[in-house]
Amino acid sequence: MGKQKPTIMVVEDEILLLQAISKKLELNGITAIPYSNGRDAIDYLDNLSKLPDAIWLDYQLKDMDGLEFMGQLKKNEKCAQIPVIVVSNSASEDKVNSMLALGAKRYLLKAEYRLDELIPIMKRFIAENKTQA
Amino acid sequence: MDSQNSQSSPRSADQILPKSINNVNLPYPGKKIPMNIKYKLLLITGFSALTIAVLSVFIYFSFRSFNLAIEYFMVGLIVTFVLVVIIIVELIARLRKKTGMITKGNLDYKVGTQIRDSTTQLPKSFDDATEKLKASYFEDLEKKVQEKTKTLTQRMEELNSERQKIKEAEEKALIEEAKEEATLISIGEGVVVTDPQGKILVFNHAAEQMTNWTASEAVGQFWFETVPAMDEKGYLIPRKDRDMYKALTTGKKVFSQSIYLQKGSEKITVAITATPIIFKHRVIGAVQVFRDISREKEVDRMKTEFISLASHQLRTPLSAVKWFCEMLLNGDAGELNPEQKEYAKNVSDSNERMISLVNSLLNISRIESGRIIIDPKPTNMNKLISEVITEIKVKSDAKKQQIIVSVHSNLPLINIDPQLIREVYVNLLTNASKYTPPGGEISVFISKKGDELTSQVSDNGYGIPKKGYDKIFQKFYRGENIVKIEPEGNGLGLYLAKAIIESSGGKIWFSSSGGSVLGGESTEEKGLPAGRQGTSFYFSLPLSGTQAKKGEVTLNS
Repeated sequence: MGKQKPTIMVVEDEILLLQAISKKLELNGITAIPYSNGRDAIDYLDNLSKLPDAIWLDYQLKDMDGLEFMGQLKKNEKCAQIPVIVVSNSASEDKVNSMLALGAKRYLLKAEYRLDELIPIMKRFIAENKTQA
Repeated sequence: MDSQNSQSSPRSADQILPKSINNVNLPYPGKKIPMNIKYKLLLITGFSALTIAVLSVFIYFSFRSFNLAIEYFMVGLIVTFVLVVIIIVELIARLRKKTGMITKGNLDYKVGTQIRDSTTQLPKSFDDATEKLKASYFEDLEKKVQEKTKTLTQRMEELNSERQKIKEAEEKALIEEAKEEATLISIGEGVVVTDPQGKILVFNHAAEQMTNWTASEAVGQFWFETVPAMDEKGYLIPRKDRDMYKALTTGKKVFSQSIYLQKGSEKITVAITATPIIFKHRVIGAVQVFRDISREKEVDRMKTEFISLASHQLRTPLSAVKWFCEMLLNGDAGELNPEQKEYAKNVSDSNERMISLVNSLLNISRIESGRIIIDPKPTNMNKLISEVITEIKVKSDAKKQQIIVSVHSNLPLINIDPQLIREVYVNLLTNASKYTPPGGEISVFISKKGDELTSQVSDNGYGIPKKGYDKIFQKFYRGENIVKIEPEGNGLGLYLAKAIIESSGGKIWFSSSGGSVLGGESTEEKGLPAGRQGTSFYFSLPLSGTQAKKGEVTLNS
């Protein structure tokens, strides 16, 4: 792998889940940047020189939904390239389709996956994005 | 009697009278003159003749002229004769005039009292004759009147009963009308009746409320123009696509949903049924019933929101339990001792059951709400079943069960919703593996029969007890025999499978050791290999494919 640990921003409004995900990422050698609301996450991205390698996004946040988050993200050209993986509890067809249309890489149903299964998926997208760049 | 007669039937009296005159011998003045009149005439004539004779003699002696006397005599004679004639003519004329009253029907008229003729008895004899005539006439008349009265009474009775019947019928019609009116008023649905051209004939109270038009404004107007309709996208529906028009032109019942534009351009969402009125094979109009479904739409929307919310809210804590259990078991927080591991495993297993229960409940509420999207795609059944088997194999391998798959060769692509049918296979195969002892055998046959594609999932497992045959597809039902063997299970799998197959236009049934059941109803024993234990589930789908259905939700979302 590379010289530096990969970084994943996790945006999840459920604190317990945020903890579990972050812990699991760290255990797998990934730096987690946990955020529990959309607004703070976007602000952080706008003011940061070094961008995360991927974003782990819950669709339903307390202050905004996935669609709005994607819209905000695309405003910053630098951020538009970051792969976004949606891990959510509600995956109705129109939500999935509109998120994929807005550039999300995958839309996964939270309760269907174990963390063990999600980590390799995240790693794969980071690798894909790196080879493209 | 007289007055009744002349009142009830004046015509019959006219008819009777001339006939009676012929029958009665009516004395005519010149024909039979009574004696005293003769004497009087003779007396007058005699007296005149004597006077003339005396005068003639006197003239002869006075003027000594025989010729002159003869002349006077002759003149006197002529004058006397003329006088007698005048008297007779006058008498007859008067008599005739009076008898005219009698011929006109007034038999009570007395000629004698009208003509003061003391010299002749002519009027009196007339009156006598009239009396006789009257007696015989009335005798005859009375008979006839009696007959006529009898027929008349009968006829009147008939008329009365007819009138009564008509009155009853009229009353009945009025009652019906009142009932209809009350029904129309109390019906919560809008009711509009039109003629074959679509002109409004009936417009009930609910229709008034739903369209903002009053009945008096609407009746006589054309329905299509009075109340325009729009589709869901807000486009005006052309006349030829309107329900009422279709009902009128095709003669068939039509159902749909539209948005009506009220008077004043407000909108209202309605469910519509348009039914043609057919009389002697001709469409003579149509009845349209429409219901305000704005509220239902709202409830529907709330339901969707609830499902979405519930799925999110219920799954979030389940995800947390799932992931923390996973980390505990992984030793992410330090290695667990065997007992701790066992407990954590129990928590994790129960949590998995809860997740699957939530998924099933959500799927059922989606299917039951009728809002599930059915999205048929040309599907390769071979590929579909292979994917499902791969998934099931994890469980069946653990129980050392064998799975045999046989798919009809050259099966065409079939237009079904792969996600939904996949769910059916998953449910049937999961059950087969779950309710078959280790080392058992599971087989899947997919065959083409006629215009149907039939799938069979069989096992040589525990079977279904007879008592459960009619309940097997019911929500939350689990066979009595397997509850003890396999405590896990929510009793929703087969219910969901049945709901999916039926909404896809197919049929589902099963056969177990003792008989077979089609969708919950017992049928004849059906193709179960002899001497074999276990259960077979079958479902058939039309090869022509499943109809697409617009909806709002999908499974597992």
